[in-house]
Amino acid sequence: MSRYLKLYAHFLRFSFSKAMEFRVDFFFRVVMDIFFYAVQFAFFHIIYLHTPILAGWDIEQMRVFIVSYIFIDALHMTVFSTNCWWLPIYINRGDLDYYLVKPVSTLFFLSLKDFAANSFLNLVIAGSLLVWVLTNYPGPLEPIKIFVYILLLLNGTFLFFLTNLIFLLAVFWTQSPRGYGDLFFSVSHVMERPDRIYKGIARKVFVFILPFALMASYPAKFLMEENQWHLLGVIFGVTTCFFLLVQVIWRLGLRNYSSASS
Amino acid sequence: MSSWPIHVFNMELRRTLTYRADFWVNFIGQTLFSIVIAYFLWSSIFETLNVQTLNGFTMERMIVYYLLVPLVFRIQQGQTIGSISREIYEGSLNKFLLYPINFYGFKIITHFAGAVFYYAQIFVIIGLYQVFADNPIFEMSFLKLFYFTIAMLGISIAYFCLNSLSELVAFWADYIWSLGVIIRFAVSFMGGALIPLSFFPEWSMKILNLTPFPYMISFPMKILLEEVALKEFFLNMTILALWTLVFLFFSRVLWNKGRYRYTGVGI
Repeated sequence: MSRYLKLYAHFLRFSFSKAMEFRVDFFFRVVMDIFFYAVQFAFFHIIYLHTPILAGWDIEQMRVFIVSYIFIDALHMTVFSTNCWWLPIYINRGDLDYYLVKPVSTLFFLSLKDFAANSFLNLVIAGSLLVWVLTNYPGPLEPIKIFVYILLLLNGTFLFFLTNLIFLLAVFWTQSPRGYGDLFFSVSHVMERPDRIYKGIARKVFVFILPFALMASYPAKFLMEENQWHLLGVIFGVTTCFFLLVQVIWRLGLRNYSSASS
Repeated sequence: MSSWPIHVFNMELRRTLTYRADFWVNFIGQTLFSIVIAYFLWSSIFETLNVQTLNGFTMERMIVYYLLVPLVFRIQQGQTIGSISREIYEGSLNKFLLYPINFYGFKIITHFAGAVFYYAQIFVIIGLYQVFADNPIFEMSFLKLFYFTIAMLGISIAYFCLNSLSELVAFWADYIWSLGVIIRFAVSFMGGALIPLSFFPEWSMKILNLTPFPYMISFPMKILLEEVALKEFFLNMTILALWTLVFLFFSRVLWNKGRYRYTGVGI
C-alpha cells in the first residue's frame, strides 16, 4: 500500500511540474470550466423560470444537486480524465506492453499516472461552490449527513470513472482509437438531471446498469431529504459490482490484447 | 480546374468511415440518449405544470426538437476541433506551406467531409419520423430541403471560421484544446441546443440576437420545424454571412501574424 502511495506522490509531483510548463493552457482550462459551471446554473435557472418545482425539488435544492455533479465532474477531470483519454490510445497503438512489465498493477498505473494539475484550480472552484451552496441552503443539514454526503460524492466520482472505463475498454475488441468514449460523453449527461425524472425501466437502467443516478442525485437526495439511509446500500453495492466488473473486463481484454498496433 | 478538392474530400470520407461499427454505435447511442434525457426532463415539467403546451412546444414537438438538434450541431462542427492546431504543434504545417494548395481550402474540405455524414444522418432520421409518426408535426418539402441545405452550408463555414480563430491561437499558446470546448459550449447553450431559445428570458434574447449563436442552431431548427419566409431566410443568412466575414477577417489576421512565429519543429 505504501509503495502505491509513494508512487502516486511521484505522479503528483511530475504532473504539477508539467502543468507549470503550459501556463496558457492552465488559464484556458480555468475559463472553460467556469463557463461550464455558469452554463449548468443558467440551464436550471431558465427551467425554473417556467416551473416552480422539478423532480420534487425547488431551485435551492436543485442548486445542491448542481454543485454535486459539478464537483464530481471537476474531481474526475483532475484525477482520472487525462488517463481515460490516453488509455484506449495505448491499447490501440500497442503501447500497453511498456506498462504491463512494470512491477505494479497496470490498471492502477494507467488510471492514475496523469494527475491533471491544470484542472486542480477548477476542483478548488467547484469545492468553493459546493461550500457556498451548502452554507446558503435554507433547510437544516446535519453534520453527519454532510460528512457522508462528501464521501458519497467521492464514491460518485469513482463510479463515474469505473463506468467510463467500461466504455473505453471496449477498445480491446473494437480496435478503434477511442473505444466508446464519445458515446460515454453523451450518456454521462444522464448524471446532470435529477434521478426522479426517470421513470419505469429507464430508472432501473440508470440505477443498476448505467448507474448515473447514483453518482450525484442520490447523494443530494441523501443530504436534503429525511430517512434516506437505505440509499447507501444501493450506492455501495452497485459501486462494488462495477469495480469487480471492470477487473473482469480488464482481464478479458488483456487476453485479447495482441500488442500489435492497428 | 484542379481535382485536388475531390480527392481530399474522398480521402476524408474514407477516413471517417474507417471504424464503421463505432461510427454507427456512437450515432445511435448519442441520438437515443439525447432523446431519453430530454423526454424524461420535459415530461416531468409538463406533468408538474399539468399543461399540454409550453412556450409553443407540445411534448411531441419538444422530442422532435431534441432528436434533430444534436445532428444540426454535429453538421456544423464537422471534423474541425484540433485540425489546425495539431498541424502547428506537430510541425506538420510545413507541408501545407510547400504544397501548391490553399491551407484553408484544404481544411474546409475536410470539415465538410466530416459534416456530410451527419447531413445524411439527419435525413435518415427525418425520413423515419415521417414514415412512422401518426401525425408528423412538420412536413418536408423541396423548398425546406433547399433552405436547410443552404443554411447548413453557411453555418458550417461560419463555425469553421469561428473555430479557426481559437485554433490559430496555437501559434502563440502551448495547448488550446479548452478554447475549442468553450466555443462549443457557447454555441450549444446560446444557440438553443440545450434549451430552445423561446424559453430564454426576453432581455437575454435581445442580447443573444446580437451574437451569431442563434443563427447557428435555432435558425436551422426553425427551417425544419416551422415555415420560414424567403425574406426572413435572407435576413438571417445575411447576418450569418456578416459574422462569417468578421471571423474570417480576424482569422486571416491571426494567420498572417502567426505564421511568422511558426518554427516548424513541433512541440
